[in-house]
Amino acid sequence: MIKYLLKRLFWMIPLMIGISLISFFIMHLAPGDITASEASFNPKASEESRQKLRELYNLDKPVIVQYGLWLKRMGTLDFGTSFASHQRPVFWQKTDDQGNVSKGLIQEALPITLLINVLSLVMIIAIALPLGVISALTRNQLPDRAITLFVFIGFAIPGFWLALMLMYWTGVANDWLPISGLHSLGHEHMGPVAQILDTLKHLILPVFISALSGLAGISLFVRNGMLDVLHQDYITTARAKGLSEHSVVYGHALRNALLPLITIFGLSIPGLIGGSVIAESIFAIPGMGKLFYDAVLMRDFPVIMGILTIGSALTLLGNLLADLAYAWADPRVRRGVMR
Amino acid sequence: MKRALSNPLAFAGFVIIAGIMLLAIFAPLIAPYDPNAIDVQAILLPPSSNHWMGTDGLGRDVFSRMLFGARISLMVGIVAVGIATAIGIVLGAISGYYRGWVDVIIMRLVDVMLSIPTFFLILAVIAFLTPSIWNIMIVIGLTSWMGVTRLVRAEFLSLRGREFVMASETLGARDGRLIFKHLLPNSLTPIIVSSVLGVASAVLVESGLSFLGLGVQAPQASWGNILTDGKEYIEFAWWLSLFPGLAILITVLGYNLLGEGLRDALDPRSTK
Amino acid sequence: MALLPSGLLNSAFKMLRRNLHPCLTACLTACLVAAFLLTSCGKAPSPSAVDYKIAYEPVNGGSTINAMIGEPSGLIPMIAGESAASAIASSIFNSLLKYDRNLELEGELAKSWQISPDHRTITFYLKPKMKWADGEPLTSADVLFTWKLVTDENTRTPYGADYKLVIRAETPDALTFRVTYQEPYAPALDTWAGLQILPKHLLEGQDINTTPFARNPVGSSYYQLEQWRNGERISLVKNPLSTQGEARIERLVSRFIPDAASQFLELMADNIDSMNLNPIQFARIFPSRPDLAERIGLYKELGNNYTYLGFNLRHKPFDDIRVRQAINYAVNKQELIDGVLLGLGEPVSSPYKPGTRWTNPELSPYPYDPQKALALLKEAGFADHDGDGILDRNGKPLAFEILTNQNKQREMTAVLVQRRLKEIGIDVKIRVLEWASFIGRFIKTGEFDSVLLGWSLSLDPDQYGIWHSSQQAPGQFNFIGYNNPQVDKLLEQGRLELNSDKRAKIYHEFSRILLEDSPIVYLYAGYGLPAIHKRIKGIDDPAPPAGIGHNSHEWFIPEPLRRNEISAR
Repeated sequence: MIKYLLKRLFWMIPLMIGISLISFFIMHLAPGDITASEASFNPKASEESRQKLRELYNLDKPVIVQYGLWLKRMGTLDFGTSFASHQRPVFWQKTDDQGNVSKGLIQEALPITLLINVLSLVMIIAIALPLGVISALTRNQLPDRAITLFVFIGFAIPGFWLALMLMYWTGVANDWLPISGLHSLGHEHMGPVAQILDTLKHLILPVFISALSGLAGISLFVRNGMLDVLHQDYITTARAKGLSEHSVVYGHALRNALLPLITIFGLSIPGLIGGSVIAESIFAIPGMGKLFYDAVLMRDFPVIMGILTIGSALTLLGNLLADLAYAWADPRVRRGVMR
Repeated sequence: MKRALSNPLAFAGFVIIAGIMLLAIFAPLIAPYDPNAIDVQAILLPPSSNHWMGTDGLGRDVFSRMLFGARISLMVGIVAVGIATAIGIVLGAISGYYRGWVDVIIMRLVDVMLSIPTFFLILAVIAFLTPSIWNIMIVIGLTSWMGVTRLVRAEFLSLRGREFVMASETLGARDGRLIFKHLLPNSLTPIIVSSVLGVASAVLVESGLSFLGLGVQAPQASWGNILTDGKEYIEFAWWLSLFPGLAILITVLGYNLLGEGLRDALDPRSTK
Repeated sequence: MALLPSGLLNSAFKMLRRNLHPCLTACLTACLVAAFLLTSCGKAPSPSAVDYKIAYEPVNGGSTINAMIGEPSGLIPMIAGESAASAIASSIFNSLLKYDRNLELEGELAKSWQISPDHRTITFYLKPKMKWADGEPLTSADVLFTWKLVTDENTRTPYGADYKLVIRAETPDALTFRVTYQEPYAPALDTWAGLQILPKHLLEGQDINTTPFARNPVGSSYYQLEQWRNGERISLVKNPLSTQGEARIERLVSRFIPDAASQFLELMADNIDSMNLNPIQFARIFPSRPDLAERIGLYKELGNNYTYLGFNLRHKPFDDIRVRQAINYAVNKQELIDGVLLGLGEPVSSPYKPGTRWTNPELSPYPYDPQKALALLKEAGFADHDGDGILDRNGKPLAFEILTNQNKQREMTAVLVQRRLKEIGIDVKIRVLEWASFIGRFIKTGEFDSVLLGWSLSLDPDQYGIWHSSQQAPGQFNFIGYNNPQVDKLLEQGRLELNSDKRAKIYHEFSRILLEDSPIVYLYAGYGLPAIHKRIKGIDDPAPPAGIGHNSHEWFIPEPLRRNEISAR
């Protein structure tokens, strides 16, 4: 087991280097750099100053040299600072000698995205589990069909379109929910409970939109898993032993059908930190998706690389955790892994 | 296939897809106007008997643009998935058949590709290649082959343990024969299912790219860019977003229902 | 537990099952959508019967909320560079000079200024007893300090070039600031209206590029920073020590809402007080929604930039003036204004704001005249020899690509231009690109046929950077490769001439040659279309040349019309 773990962890190093290498080159493949921003397209802005900036950021050096410099910095876990003129740290806050704290970009965006994604994951599970079970138990009957249709509609609706319609409906036509943003303007002056409620109110639509598209996958997964399990020998045995249908379904079948879900959750860990540009733009939420998108458009290389590195490290860890959790939960696999 | 279509949802999916494909194919015959005919005097007209789905910001007939947009949207989906499936089958087959270090390398490559956000790849490559319908299809294809690869590999691995494959292997069948005669045909079902579902996703990806302004180039119409044009007037010029929105919804739904129905019907485990 | 309802459902829906055919899918979704549309028709938030037409006495206090697309990266404009930064910083900092409502220069921090007889030295006399928001005195030392900053090699500002022309800057006393140029530099005053003065006592010894001051500025103008929530909003509060007197509105909140569709929803829901509209919202949606028009005022202001189709003059056939003029005749500008701007713009024939003194009143745009265009093309040797509907010369079809960036209006413009050119047999393709690729891949390398872009309608007439033949290196702004010795000479003269009348003459001549040469096709200058809630009073309507915001410090919100103060905080 330990040996397996070490082997997997060891594999992550070349993988990480591979990922960063590919990302770095793809990033530089796209034309333009930080000095090609729309703001600097102004006859008052001189080319010399842009050239100076390029030299400062080593953008005039060959890509491979830039990659070497980046790798060297990453060796000390230094994610660097953004190329944007605010020059904020990419990952975590830094304090200068006068005690001024400059918050990291990822540090601020990540909790927001994480909150939305965790809430939407919880919502997906809460809805998809019962839907999947009902679907399986009523296979090919009306409830199954209706559920399948419903979850697929959720998947098929273009998210930004539905989002705008819901914003109009709940925010303009009716005064039920805030339209965009994360906090009301008076947020600082509210009590703690009101603050939480205020934030939750702002999160309802974004969470709903992102959960809706994920519903189909999980509920069908549960459905098909249940169907598989329900035909297994031990379920037949359990039925034969005269156990109630209720305890057959929930005591035996569901538990086994849920095992593969562990893998799915492991695989969704990296997804939790990646926000959606489109949803975040529409809802005016300063999350990871918008941060990344803006960085790509600005060619803010340290930010792009920072997000990709953290993202891929989490993906690899998530894969590993999923495998381990699965092994822990299912003795048959455990034996296979130990080998 | 027959069994799949006895499932009403799968049948519905089939009818939807077939219908939309027919509309797309016969678009030039059906469309009442040239989809690119501009009429500055007829900007943003609501649906009427002249313009069934109204007109857009340049006075172009939305219904005609929807029909021609169907061609683009469907083509993007199908070609992109075709590319992804082709790459996936080749790599998956190599990986699952030869195993060993080739397998390790391909699987690690899959891991690498999966941990780079698709959106970033698409954005960077489109920035490099400049957006055009072909580039969009190629890019979506090149960034979505990983699932098929894993699938084909898994099928191959499990098929190789089956008796009929082992038998012909011991009889001295060559690699090519083994792959094309036995392994591939027997793993077609999941490949087809995943392709059908993949088309659905690709249609959505195209509309997302249009939202970001990276979609099909003007003046060409696609559902994604008609929808994006309409997003700022969602309650005023509702016809600009409603029709493409519904078209995308129905098409994606159709592919999903068809794919899921096929899976359900063709899955040997669910025969009872 | 789950079996019960499903069993029930089973029997209940047995009949319905038969009906589950393809139509159901469509029906269901249609119902879903119809539900949304129906509910959306029932408009709810009618503001309590407030009459916005009553005249009110100006009062102090209240807050406004406006929406911005982007967030500033910092509030030191010379470093930050983007428009979001200057929009907010202009409420915090002052310059020596500013443009008044009629776009004439007047003093801001400077009480007056004097130009030496040889036109090389400018002396600014500062207003007395000015203070920074933290109470420290604002003197000529701050001005000198700011000039040193902007010209410092280590300052990462793209805007240093103009100020580096100053060969000597000095402060004879605390209220006098004097700059001397190598030779007369006519745009100098304009540059001093563009440099916002920073406090020496807070920035001395700091690295201007990384200073925390950028996120916590202390200025001298009407407002000071109250709070900055990253990614969400910036709020400014009145600066009691303002060098310009007191503003009326207590607090300005700017929310960052990247999506224009969401901004408009917020405006409709009365969560923001102002935003910039697009022509469709202005000309179509508002007229159809009296409830909106009742509480939101619409204004028109002169646009700050014009849109043009520029040819790469190094490429054939654009080296031929007849081809350029032909295309100019073939493009219907009025159609563009009607179609893209819904009439909310005007044609331009020189790169200056229409109606200002730099605009040559004798010039008018090329009329739409396809026959003349064809005649010119024929003269240049183009005709449809092979009968494919596309003009050709020496076997080469007349075809080119219009390159533009992601901008809805420019895209629509390109489509309309494409159509008109097609009619006279020119085959045009359109390519829309994201900005950085656009610049990096095409503009810098010069590998383009034509571009559809915008230039600002500058307040100072100097256009040296855009049109002088020396400004063609990669990264410089004469990227279309315009080279006309006559224009070069005029541009050089214009920089040396400080007499406004003589200067205007020079630029009138420059505009005339430019129009005739047709290196670009002037397409239109769209209006700025701000929408501002009617609770805000004191707005100059119609907007003066300087735009609606020129007197925003005099705007006020009568108490009965204010939002709930808590929620506006």
